[in-house]
Amino acid sequence: MRLWRSVKRLLQGFHVRNIQVLISLSSIAVTVLAVVLVSTLLYNRFSQAAEENAYLSLEQIIEQVHSNLELYVSGMQDIFDLVEQKIAVVPDLPTNDQLGEQLETVLSTREDLVSMALFTEDGKLVRNMPSIPMRQNTRLQEQLWFESAMENSGKLQFTPPHIQNLFKWQYRWVVSMSKTVTYRDQGKLKQGVLVIDINFRTIDELSGRISLGKKGYVYIIDSVGNIVYHPQQQLIYAGLKYENLEPVLNYAYGRYFDESDGEQRIITIQTVKPAEWKIVGVAYADEFLTTKREVGDFLSWFLPLVIAIILVISIYVSARISQPIRKLERSVQMVERGDFGTNVYVSGAYEVEQLSKRFNLMLRRIRELMDQIIQEQEAKRKSELDVLQSQINPHFLYNTLNSVTRLAELGRNEEVVTTITSLSRFFRISLSKGNHIISVQDELEHVRHYLIIQTIRFKNKFRYDISADDAALKCSTLKLILQPLVENAIHHGIEKSAEEGFIRVEARLEGDNLVFRIRDNGIGMTPETVEKLISGAIRSENGSGVGVRNVQERITLYYGADFGLHFDSEPEEGTTVTITIPAVRPESLEQGGMEP
Amino acid sequence: MKRLPRNAYWMGLLFTSVLLITLLSSCGGSGGGGDDKQVTDVDMIVKMDRGDYWKTTKLGAEVAAKEYNVRLNFLAPENENDVEGQIRLMEEAIKRRPDAIILAATDYEALGQVTDRTSYSDIPVVSMDSEVASTKVKTFVGTNNYEAGQKAAERLVELTGPDSEIGIMNFVKGARNANQREEGFLDYIARFPGVQVVDIQYCGSDENLAYNLTADMLERFPDLDGIVSLSAESSIGAGRAVDELGYGGKVKMIAFDNPPEMLELLQEEKVQAMVVQNPFNNGYMAVAAAVQAARGEKLQDRIPTDTKLIDLNNMLWPENQKLLFPFVK
Repeated sequence: MRLWRSVKRLLQGFHVRNIQVLISLSSIAVTVLAVVLVSTLLYNRFSQAAEENAYLSLEQIIEQVHSNLELYVSGMQDIFDLVEQKIAVVPDLPTNDQLGEQLETVLSTREDLVSMALFTEDGKLVRNMPSIPMRQNTRLQEQLWFESAMENSGKLQFTPPHIQNLFKWQYRWVVSMSKTVTYRDQGKLKQGVLVIDINFRTIDELSGRISLGKKGYVYIIDSVGNIVYHPQQQLIYAGLKYENLEPVLNYAYGRYFDESDGEQRIITIQTVKPAEWKIVGVAYADEFLTTKREVGDFLSWFLPLVIAIILVISIYVSARISQPIRKLERSVQMVERGDFGTNVYVSGAYEVEQLSKRFNLMLRRIRELMDQIIQEQEAKRKSELDVLQSQINPHFLYNTLNSVTRLAELGRNEEVVTTITSLSRFFRISLSKGNHIISVQDELEHVRHYLIIQTIRFKNKFRYDISADDAALKCSTLKLILQPLVENAIHHGIEKSAEEGFIRVEARLEGDNLVFRIRDNGIGMTPETVEKLISGAIRSENGSGVGVRNVQERITLYYGADFGLHFDSEPEEGTTVTITIPAVRPESLEQGGMEP
Repeated sequence: MKRLPRNAYWMGLLFTSVLLITLLSSCGGSGGGGDDKQVTDVDMIVKMDRGDYWKTTKLGAEVAAKEYNVRLNFLAPENENDVEGQIRLMEEAIKRRPDAIILAATDYEALGQVTDRTSYSDIPVVSMDSEVASTKVKTFVGTNNYEAGQKAAERLVELTGPDSEIGIMNFVKGARNANQREEGFLDYIARFPGVQVVDIQYCGSDENLAYNLTADMLERFPDLDGIVSLSAESSIGAGRAVDELGYGGKVKMIAFDNPPEMLELLQEEKVQAMVVQNPFNNGYMAVAAAVQAARGEKLQDRIPTDTKLIDLNNMLWPENQKLLFPFVK
């Protein structure tokens, strides 16, 4: 079960379109195909050549036996002719001693000559050599050598092996040459049959000494299929072994395959002309056509080896190609996830290296472009901020100056001084050398001066209180964020209330955040009004010019969307506005810049 | 797409490559298969190491030994009636533990016990030429001796006529083949009331004894019309006696087996016919059967070899030449 699952996993991982798999498989397929193709071609070609060579050498061997035997047989013929001539010239054959000696010499020099004898046409012995008495009941006229000599008058006959039963000695297996000849008996010309018997010594030597492999052999048959010589002649005579002679008789010379006893045998045939004997070479295919098998054996281990080597090489090469690409892919994946800091350096094939270089260049370019975008955004925001900050409504100045004029006419100098002083302080902080960021203390001071001016204008219609943590005072904040809200509290809360108003402004450090709270006891606001305020739909005509929406926008722009305003308002009870911004300590204040 | 670690690919490729290689190499490897030519040890114990009959048997056995890759150990006692000697040879053979034993028992009963003992050592025994009284024998290779006896009787009666006196020259009393031939002969003769078997002698396959016994028989029974001798050696002795004492042609004679002396006598018409066994084939087929028995193969109960009745008319027929005269180059 576990095995199956792991195999399945392996197969799932084995993507056919994976470069490595693709390269490995295709190169393996192509090379295996090529190797198999080439080796089969070679195998066929080679084994064919080897086969032809084997046949050629077989034929040469048989040809050798053939020419030796032909030489031997014609030598025998010559002897026969010689004896015939000698007989022909002797005037009185049966008693000529000189002839006897001559023939004795011929016999004794040739070990393969058994005997020679001349018979009359009625089968009576004229003379024989060596002179050994005849047996009784030889029935020689019925014997093949006599019969065929009589039938084919004047032509030399060869018999198949037979038992020589003519003379009183050992019964011997011989081959007989016989022919009708003429001789003189006491001067009279007579016809007779000359027979010369040969034993198997030389034939055996000539046929037996050649080698046709361990099992192969040569045998000889006559024109009608009698076995003349066979290395296992006795077995054949005893009926314990057979030769498939039928097809052999159809050939004078040539070659064919015989599978009659289950084994493939190559039969090569040659004919010895004088005796019309057929030399039959029997070679066993499994011995003689070994080259084919050897080549096959060689290929059977060579082929897998080559394929294995190709396999290893193709796996290695494909890994060399695909691994850098996969590395590159992983790097691209990291970039895809947003990590533009990744630097890709992949070594490997030239193309892949170039690709990784280009990719790096592209990454750098992307980084540059992104930096550029950020800087541009920054600049845009800054200018927007500047514009926003410059939107201070001149109405506030007119109103204040009007109040001051009125106070001066009434002779309330002290209040005039206070108002002017506060106004001057108010504007000074408003401008604050063009800085956007000021300390919380300054921001609170700014609000205080605004409230001073407003209490004088509104003839003490409300009271106010400003409080802050010491730690909070030292923090920095975006300027002009409290004043618009206080203005809002006055206009929408206190002004419309019949009671005496009260405005409390607080600055507190809460965790990492700096929190401002502007609380009033005015008429409060409905959620719709709050909504409208934040969206900028409501703007006081004679306000300082910076609306609630503006405050919200600036905080979001500067500190991010997590920060901003929060309204808690209840009709007839009052409103609490909470501003949350990150607490920025004085150290970082000094840097003053706006880091992204 | 979730991918496996890259080891998986390597493993996969390695796996397939190993698979491929084993597949291919197993393809190639299965082609070759060596033939197991091992030597088989066969002890061949015959009746004696003399005479053409046993020589030809040995020839056949040797040819088979060469063909079947057999190490042949040809053994025989001094004489054909040396039963003790043959038992001793059997005992020695059992000690040597060959792969198989071929036995031509000189005595049907006496060799039975020692033949039974081969089974203790798991040595298969093939009986040849003459049977032995043992159930442990795997097969019998040889002549149907009873039939051979009948053939001899048939021809002899043809030659002597229905009213005649006949003498039998047998070889070893107790040898199974001798007994069977005699039985066959007598059973056939029994059909002719005019034919009398006047004497039965045992020469122990000794040529000289056979000569003497035959001479004696001819003297004792002057009206003897025919003699049958039931083995090669007895035939040689009896034939010589008939020839030399001038009874050639007058006393009809049927011989057994084909020693060259007999063939000469046959050609000279001193012997009228002979029952010829096939000793070459006996030897050859006994060894072939022994090899099969050593391998544990099941054999037929009997592997019969032919007998032929040869006379002057058919002795030179090509197939009979081949039977009568072993081919010696």
